[in-house]
Amino acid sequence: MTDFLPRTLPERRIFTITELVAGLRVLLEESMGRLWVAGEVSNLRRASSGHLYFSLKDDAAQLRAVLFRSDARRMPFELEDGLEVIAFGECSVYEARGDLQLLVRHVEPRGRGALQLAFEQLRGRLEREGLFDPSRKRRLPAFPRRVGLVTSISGAALRDVIEVSGRCFPATPLLLAPTRVQGDGAEHEIAAALSALASLPEEVDVILLVRGGGSLEDLQPFNTEVVARAVAGCPVPVVSGVGHETDLSIADLVADVRAPTPSAAAALVLPDRAVLRDRCARNLVRLCSAAERVLERTRARLGQRREALARVAPLARLAAQQARFDALRGALARNTRRRTERARSQLATLAGRLHALSPLAVLARGYAIVWKAKVGTIVRRAEECAPGDQLRVRLGEGELAATVQDGPEPSSVAAGVESA
Amino acid sequence: MDEDSPSAKLPPASTDELPFETALTRLEGIVQSLEKGDLELEAALAAFEQGIALSRHCATQLERAERRIEVLVREGAGFAVRPFAGPEDAD
Repeated sequence: MTDFLPRTLPERRIFTITELVAGLRVLLEESMGRLWVAGEVSNLRRASSGHLYFSLKDDAAQLRAVLFRSDARRMPFELEDGLEVIAFGECSVYEARGDLQLLVRHVEPRGRGALQLAFEQLRGRLEREGLFDPSRKRRLPAFPRRVGLVTSISGAALRDVIEVSGRCFPATPLLLAPTRVQGDGAEHEIAAALSALASLPEEVDVILLVRGGGSLEDLQPFNTEVVARAVAGCPVPVVSGVGHETDLSIADLVADVRAPTPSAAAALVLPDRAVLRDRCARNLVRLCSAAERVLERTRARLGQRREALARVAPLARLAAQQARFDALRGALARNTRRRTERARSQLATLAGRLHALSPLAVLARGYAIVWKAKVGTIVRRAEECAPGDQLRVRLGEGELAATVQDGPEPSSVAAGVESA
Repeated sequence: MDEDSPSAKLPPASTDELPFETALTRLEGIVQSLEKGDLELEAALAAFEQGIALSRHCATQLERAERRIEVLVREGAGFAVRPFAGPEDAD
């Protein structure tokens, strides 16, 4: 190695800057090699080349650093100013400018996992975009005609969903779009499956995006922007059930409904036969009760009308009137009889009196009525008659015609009697 | 039957092809109109009969046990829908 230290004054070796800086670089690279360093990111700048230029600093010092695009691409999270990181790289000198720098090959957040940080960064960004807004969430159909499934063909999630479907409502058709649910690039398959299901002529009313539990690495595809945008842009409502209840993924946040598990997702989407059976039974009961009530009401109304009719009762009225008529007629008859009898007895009395007064009764005692035949006047005095007058004599029984023979004598008359 | 009565608005009860959801909704509609109590006897009995038919149809639909699970497979440039035998049916 070039000895930079001057030993003797007369022997002076004069270096060029290039030589010096190159020497420094070699010195550095060979003595420090690769190492881990902790620091805070600052002055972050992304060049058009895609390389990231920043500084790592702490309280007392700072060091320029660069992360090349190829290495940056492998990182799930984004570097940002203020982030505490641990970087792995090699110290070097950028000769053209004489800058000390750390060539970073790998960097991870300090105090949090890279994936965790990536999750938080993406969540923040999408939330600010409004992708998680409750107003974006769509309502699920109550009776889906067909349910789409995006999940692994060999996973437990599919078995769970099939089992729940068999319990709840086996008649609902399921359409599976199989996909990988972990590993590099799985997010693109997931997005493609969602888009395929939504574009089919066989319409799918709702899509279940599900997978079983796993580590944060395993679930990573569901925390990518690719899947988030595919779910957000899906024309069919999406229900997510990713991992266990405690695993919250970006897909869960974007989905229309989040279910804690794949089974729960299926149960949310499918109608429950048992519940529906109850509902049908209750309706049947109500139907019959209501029909019975209608019959009852009709019967009651008929009964009321019959009673009303009975109260008006033309026949009864007629009978009553008939009875009254009979009573009146009887009274009339009795009355009439009484009057007739009274009249008869009065008549008899009067007839008796009349009879007593009657000249006929007098005649029966031997007296006679005499009258002038032609004139018809009753003779009371002898002087009224002259001999030869024709007289008629009424006796108690029968009549005589008589002629006056002798002139009137005051108290006696001898009359020739000729029977009448 | 009066043109304005609720049961006259329903199409003649050919319930065979009705999807479950429609049948159930109609049944509940009939129940409500019967319970409201302003149907005349003849209309009420007709509604009742239709309600019974719908109820039977719903019950039949609910008891259908046959499953239908299909899987999307790539076919040429697009997709096709095929019956799915089970998780063993791995690609």
